[in-house]
Amino acid sequence: METRQIYWEDVEVGQEIPTGYTLKLDITRFFMQVSGTQDYYPVHHDRDFAQAQGVPDIFVNTGFLTAAAGRLLTNWIGSEGWLKKFRIEMRKMNLYGDTMSVKGKVTGKRIENKEHYIEADVWCETDRQGITTPCKATIILPTRMEVTRNG
Amino acid sequence: MTTQKTPEEFLQESKKMIGKETETTAAPYPVEYEPIRRYCMMVDDTNPLFQDPDYAKKTQYGDVILPPFAPFGIMAGNFISAITKALPPLPGPYVINMAQEWEWMKPIKVGDRLSTKTRLSDVHIKKIRIDPKAFWIVFETEVSNQNGDVVCIYKNILLNHRPPNIVAQEQQSEKGD
Repeated sequence: METRQIYWEDVEVGQEIPTGYTLKLDITRFFMQVSGTQDYYPVHHDRDFAQAQGVPDIFVNTGFLTAAAGRLLTNWIGSEGWLKKFRIEMRKMNLYGDTMSVKGKVTGKRIENKEHYIEADVWCETDRQGITTPCKATIILPTRMEVTRNG
Repeated sequence: MTTQKTPEEFLQESKKMIGKETETTAAPYPVEYEPIRRYCMMVDDTNPLFQDPDYAKKTQYGDVILPPFAPFGIMAGNFISAITKALPPLPGPYVINMAQEWEWMKPIKVGDRLSTKTRLSDVHIKKIRIDPKAFWIVFETEVSNQNGDVVCIYKNILLNHRPPNIVAQEQQSEKGD
């Protein structure tokens, strides 16, 4: 992955976050989810079990969804950015067979107590259901003024 | 006549548990490279800050750090075990994770030893389409490192609702009153 540091001055309110991406939720992805989160609850990997519980099919878990949103944000903010706060709402299931996209948009900028904040909306959406998982993020970014001051 | 307790009765009992903390649960192993790699792999994340010690050495952290949501992602088993012990009495059979909120204070590095403490921070009734007296439960988990520093806090907002037949019985019984 190419790494590049962004700075608070470079960000515009309303801009799309450029590190969006898409994942196919095929059976391999579900097993990777179990491996990555160590969550063995069968509703997230056993189709017969999920359907017996009354849900349409297996669906990815919270650990997977937050990792997905985290990838978009941390790939964007670079090693000097800091994710400060976050909220995620699991409104609809991201199901087996769906194509899930992760996207984001900048919604605000401010300076508070000498820290440079960015507010962003991030979301997961599927081809089947549209937006399934809306999120809000608060990020602290470095500034070019600091770079200039510190040489 | 139903002998099922009402959601209001469950709420009275559950409110007594607000603030009660689970005992501190330590992760069995220190933060390690390989679980981080598998965690990143599940969403095709190739960020070298989380996987490449040579790259990470040149950053402010000096070594690979844990991705921000991984304290829940990798230790989900610990969390589920903790809240199972801390769950208040509930009117419905299932608990669904509806939302999470996070705040981060410090980075977590490879080699750190993490522990968690969870407490019930709120219980309330708020209607949903299929249950006018759905039960909402909020758990707050504090993650600390080996120095006792709180590195992050996350809240889970959980939903518990009654099956449709129980809701229908209650509504029928109220009409008959």
